[in-house]
This record gives sequence, structure tokens and C-alpha cells, in this order.
Amino acid sequence: MSKDYQLRAAINQKLIEMGERERLKELLRAKLVECGWKDQLKAHCKDVIREKGLDHVTVEDLVTDVTPKGRALVPDSVKKELLQRIRAFLVQHAAL
Amino acid sequence: MKMEEMRLSGPDNTKLEALMQDIYSELVEDACLGLCFEVHRAVKQGYFFLDETDQESMKEFEIVDQPGVDIFGQVFNQWKNKECECPNCRRLIAASRFAPHLEKCLGMGRNSSRIASRRLASNNNMSKSESDQEDNDDVNDNDWSYGAEKKAKKRKSDKNQNSPRRSKSLKHKNGELGSSIASESYKYNYNTGISYESLGPDEVRSLLTTQCGVISEHTKKMCTRSQRCPQHTDEQRRTVRVFLLGPSAPALPDAELESSSFDIPDGPSLMSRLQWEDSSDISPADSASSKASANHSDSRRPKKKKRPALGLSSAGGSGGLAEGGGGMGGSQSNLSLMTKKKKPKISAAFISSIYDDMN
Repeated sequence: MSKDYQLRAAINQKLIEMGERERLKELLRAKLVECGWKDQLKAHCKDVIREKGLDHVTVEDLVTDVTPKGRALVPDSVKKELLQRIRAFLVQHAAL
Repeated sequence: MKMEEMRLSGPDNTKLEALMQDIYSELVEDACLGLCFEVHRAVKQGYFFLDETDQESMKEFEIVDQPGVDIFGQVFNQWKNKECECPNCRRLIAASRFAPHLEKCLGMGRNSSRIASRRLASNNNMSKSESDQEDNDDVNDNDWSYGAEKKAKKRKSDKNQNSPRRSKSLKHKNGELGSSIASESYKYNYNTGISYESLGPDEVRSLLTTQCGVISEHTKKMCTRSQRCPQHTDEQRRTVRVFLLGPSAPALPDAELESSSFDIPDGPSLMSRLQWEDSSDISPADSASSKASANHSDSRRPKKKKRPALGLSSAGGSGGLAEGGGGMGGSQSNLSLMTKKKKPKISAAFISSIYDDMN
């Protein structure tokens, strides 16, 4: 629905304008490093690269390989906290 | 959490949830992409596998995860209980104390020369030396020889002698230093007192200028604490001086550098003198103190004969100061007047007032 789409666009815009998106991104990155997610994923990347051969790795390869695993590996606590923050923002700034 | 909002926005709840999930997954994907770019760049630039060496070295430096051992595999506190033999004095010293012991033992290091010269000085001055003089090294090693512990207290007070801070601390800890300078001649007496019968008149005089000197009833020994020792009053000190040195006793050295005792010795006579002299509305300022003590200086003077000029004026001044301060109602004014900053001004004022009186 275009209304939905418009709503989302508006919210995204607000997120960016208020700097909240950046903050959330940084928060997520920091938390993922802390909990070891980044190292885990990097080790997985190493396996992929060794498999594919060092010279023939492309970004697309990595992305298609890494992203689903990455999404799955995010710990629950980090996920919960982020969702909480997003909800707080939405409730405060989005007229639903 | 935000349960109220969820209940309120009933039909919108799913929308809200969906929105949240979308935003969240976008953020996570951003993070993953970021990582992929980083890794890809590292691969292409050639530094991705830089931290890996051959398998052998990798095994050697692997992180250790055993109990009782740190991640390098080293045991914590391994050398704590070991003892080492000192090459100089051939004693067994605990490992953690070894380095300081070596410093003293070999005569190197910052404090060793200071300690040695201090020891030499005290050895020279001692008339009655202690019988159990241990080895030179032992005396310095406070934590090893039990004899040194006995003298540790005296040593602490002697520590200030050679150090450059001595003159500074003279002001603050007049009593302690004074007693330490005197008591070094009577080393074994630091916690009891001095028997006055064994001293000559000169020694007595020098002692009395620095120490309290009040003779204790029970032990017949002189108190080695400072001039302001709280156990004895100025009256007692004066009595002792008269007793030991005759009626022409030297002036009670209330203060060499500091002001005299905070407790006012003769209460009623003091109060009467004050009421006659000063009005109570003088603020605790320099002018007040100089006025007060100018009035008192000639009444105090006859008692103080044997002091150097500056000492006389400062003693007279600070004697008057004590009384002036007392009259002005309260220990607070006492304390404010007794501050060291006022001393030079006061002595200058008194010198001039005394000259006036003499004229």
C-alpha cells in the first residue's frame, strides 16, 4: 500500500534527520564487536576465502555467504535492546 | 516497557511491530555489509591473513585457558614465596624484598647514602650506646631484623634530619623534631623520658629549651615531648625549670618558631588582665593582637631573660597573643590568631613596642 510506503519513507527520513539512525547503527556495531559476533563472522569469512581462493573472491560472494549467517548469529540480548530503542523512537516521533 | 503503548495502539500494533522489524533488519544488514567490505578490502590489499603464521607457531602461542594460569601459561605469584641469597651479606631474602635489600646492602640507590650518614651521625653522638648493636646492614633492613623494629620509631623521627625538608618541617612539627634532636643523645629513652640526675647543667638547659621536660611523678624522668605536649601545663614546665636550673631560670621557651600553647594556663588572672586591657569589640586582626601584646609585653618580660632577642619578642608576643586571643571569646579567634602567617608581622610589631617600652 502506498500509504504504508509513504509512512515508512517518512519515518526513515525522520530517523535520519534526527541522527537517530546513525546512533542506532553505532550502537549496534559496538554491541556486536563486544559480544564477539564480528570475530565469529570474520572467521567464517576466512573459511569462505580459503575455499574460494584468495584471488578470486568478490564482494558478492562474501555478501551472499555472510549476510544470512550474520543475521542469525546476532545474540538475543543485542536484538532485544535494539528493538526496544527503535520502538521508543517510533512511539515518540511517529504518529500511528 | 512500552506495554501501554502497545495496548493503546491495538490495530496499529502489528504495523508498529512490522516497522520495528524492518528497521532492525536494515540496521543488521548494514552491519554485515560493512564487515564484508572490510574483509574484501583486506583480502585484496593482502593484509587479511597477516596475523596467521605457520601452524607450528600458531600452536605455540595459542591462548591458554587453564585454571591457575594466565593466558600466556604463566603461573601467577610464582616467585612470591621464593627466597634468594644475597650475594653481599649471604642472607636469604624474600624475592619481593630482594631489590630494596640489595640497594641498602650494596650502598647504592637513593636512600642508602642518606641512611648511612644518618647512622654515622647518631653513632657519633651517642654517649651511651646500646649494647646490642647489630650489623650495619641489619640496622637498615627494617623488615628483617627485629632490633631495627624497636628503633623504628626513633628512626622515623631521625629520618628528617638529613633530608632537605628538615627546615620546613621544623615549623610544623616543632615538638617532634626538637625531641628527636635531643633524644638522639639519649637514644634508648624515646618512649620513656630522661633522668635529670644524670645530666649536666648545660645539657639540662639545652634539653629544656626544646622539650617539655616535666618530671614525672612515678618515674622521675623528664618528659621528652614537645613544648606544647598536652599532658603537662606551662606551669609544670616552669616549675621544672626553676627546680632544675635555680630561681634564675631561663625564660619558659613557649615558642621558638610557633606560638605558645593553645590552652591558657592561668585562667582567672588572665581574664582579669584582659578585661582591664582590651575591649571585647576588637576584631581578631593584626592590629588587635599587636595592641594586646604590646600591653602585655612588659608584664611578661621579667620572666624571660635568657632568650635571644627575637625569641624574646616573639615569645612575649605570642604569650600576649594567647591571652589576647583568649579574651576575644572563643577558640576560633585563638586559632585564627595563631596562624603562622601572622607571626612575622607580630614579632615586628613587638620589637617596636618593646623598644618603646624600654625608652
